[in-house]
Amino acid sequence: MERDALYWRVILLAAPIAVFTALVIWPLLSSFYYSFTNWNGFNPEYDFVGLDNFAKIGTDRLFASAIINTAIWMVAAIFLPTLLGLALALLLDSKVPGGTIFKTLFYLPICLSAVVVGQIWIWIYQGDWGLLNTVLRAVTGSDFSYAWLARPNTALGSVIVAWSWQQTGLSMVIFLAGLTSIPDELLEVCDIEGATAWQRIRIVVIPLLTPATVVVVALSVINSLKGFDILYIMTGGGPFHSSDTLAMHMYNESFKKYLMGYGSAISVVLFLIALTIIRIYFRNLRKVDEIYG
Amino acid sequence: MADLRLESVSKSFGQEEVIHDVSLEVAHGEFIVFVGPSGCGKSTLLRLVTGLESVTSGRIFIDGVDVTHVKPSDRRVAMVFQSYALFPHLTVAENIGFGLRLAKTPAAEIRRRVAEVANTLRIEELLERKPRQLSGGQRQRVAIGRSIIRSPKVFLFDEPLSNLDAALRVLMRLEITRLHNRLQATMIFVTHDQTEAMTLADRIYVFNHGRIEQSGTPMHLYNAPANRFVAGFIGSPAMNFLPAKVRRQEDRFTAAIGSSVVPLDRSLRNLPQGEISIGVRPEHMSVVDPADGDVEATIEIVEELGAEVIAYLQIDATAEPVTVRLPPQRQVVPGQRVGVRLAHESFHLFDSDGALLG
Ligand SMILES: Nc1ncnc2c1ncn2[C@@H]1O[C@H](COP(=O)(O)OP(=O)(O)OP(=O)(O)O)[C@@H](O)[C@H]1O
Ligand SMILES: [Mg+2]
Repeated sequence: MERDALYWRVILLAAPIAVFTALVIWPLLSSFYYSFTNWNGFNPEYDFVGLDNFAKIGTDRLFASAIINTAIWMVAAIFLPTLLGLALALLLDSKVPGGTIFKTLFYLPICLSAVVVGQIWIWIYQGDWGLLNTVLRAVTGSDFSYAWLARPNTALGSVIVAWSWQQTGLSMVIFLAGLTSIPDELLEVCDIEGATAWQRIRIVVIPLLTPATVVVVALSVINSLKGFDILYIMTGGGPFHSSDTLAMHMYNESFKKYLMGYGSAISVVLFLIALTIIRIYFRNLRKVDEIYG
Repeated sequence: MADLRLESVSKSFGQEEVIHDVSLEVAHGEFIVFVGPSGCGKSTLLRLVTGLESVTSGRIFIDGVDVTHVKPSDRRVAMVFQSYALFPHLTVAENIGFGLRLAKTPAAEIRRRVAEVANTLRIEELLERKPRQLSGGQRQRVAIGRSIIRSPKVFLFDEPLSNLDAALRVLMRLEITRLHNRLQATMIFVTHDQTEAMTLADRIYVFNHGRIEQSGTPMHLYNAPANRFVAGFIGSPAMNFLPAKVRRQEDRFTAAIGSSVVPLDRSLRNLPQGEISIGVRPEHMSVVDPADGDVEATIEIVEELGAEVIAYLQIDATAEPVTVRLPPQRQVVPGQRVGVRLAHESFHLFDSDGALLG
């Protein structure tokens, strides 16, 4: 009996483990491997260079700026959609007229691919006839023409806005689900005990949304780590590498400069960063479980 | 002055009226129980008193002040919910001190008053725990603690004991009585359990279909139910109802239960001729030899409870099952043929609409 169960466990787990190995473990290990070489991506001959690639990271100015941009990108990509989604959910949860329409509208962008979203926002940001500048011209009455995506100061920020626009709908929906799972009685206790709207949100609603927040933040972290395509479409890391993130930098080094070995070293660093974030996340998840589980 | 007064309160949800013209008064310090079957509007009535729902018509006064349109927090009422409604992310101390914190009471004073309440409810050692780490009875105490800390005018309990097991329910019942004696506060307690109502109440309001059927002390409702609904609802095991036909014989009335005729030996003057129903409590029936009883019956089920025996029997004449409460020494067995003697002076007579006769 015991042995039988084990047998089936092995059989049933074999397939997923095989897929996981082929698509995750193997590329991961090969990245580690190539990060110690000077492979150019297609030449079968290459040399081991030890820790040279990692040493190069230390002196790479573009790497440093990519790290900073990645940090900005991740913090913004986690906070903006989470906060905006929470605000929208709180607004739309109370019985606003037309609430359902708004919920649908805000959720819509999540159904679009990053390529489509990127293209929409490229048009919005377009200097001469883009929606943003047209509106600004109408409001200020000046002859405003600013190429948002072509200026180093605003390129990254503009992409972050587009990204948040897409992701907010998702976090809003998760928060709305979280709100419906708060028992009515708890909110009624707030009414009876005389909580102001703000006290009720701060002391009761937001803490009780912790499980939803955990999910939203997890998705934001994962999505922001993966968020390469929209950046690639909208700025390609430019202008002058001003919106390069680590993923973009790795892509440039590996596939544009054919420095596969160096690119692999960057991806190893990226992997370690992701690992750290996920570990912190799981540690906190356990605390949440202890209270709400 | 009455602590709580309702004047012709009605409440509709959409087209459906669920509370019909309810008026009642609760004096200071009274322990009032609202009792009635599920769905009769007890919770709705409490929610109207707290202000969680607004009345469709009528007025509500608390301590002489018209609070019909006052928001819940300004009504000085506290409510204990059936589900306890504790905040899972706050400790017991924070849950109890919740209202004070909202009112921006200084931390030191919150601590002092929480300690006081915890002492009253004997939960001092639980203050740092989260609700998840408490038993049902302990949670109940915390919920009560949160309601008493602000010294409200009126306490409202919505079936607070229904989530507890039977033994704990009895224990908490005593606790609540004790609390009421200590605080001398006005309390309204909702239940659909008539035993809870009987044991706790100074006065009971019996509800059915959103109307007050009768109010009074537990013993008054027990001895003088105003209609068949109250008669059947108050008392456990419930009152038996025997269908009968009234006949007039010279200057007195008799009732025919099947082929047996029993005299109605009260000073009844104007009974309608025809179908009535005779209410007799289980303790007002006794089991005798078949020939000696008012009616004949067969014992079906016997429950020996130690202090008493509850027997369920089938009366031949009516095929109605009836319940009889017997002294513990009385030996009866299922299948046994017996006579049932009825205590005529304890009859409650109801017409076919359930109204009291006589
Ligand atoms: N928010 C609401 N919307 C519509 N109908 C409602 C609402 N709340 C209660 N009702 C209806 O009002 C009636 C009374 O409900 P209520 O909850 O007051 O009953 P109750 O006496 O407390 O019953 P229970 O003993 O089961 O708790 C029921 O028929 C119920 O369906
Ligand atoms: Mg109820």
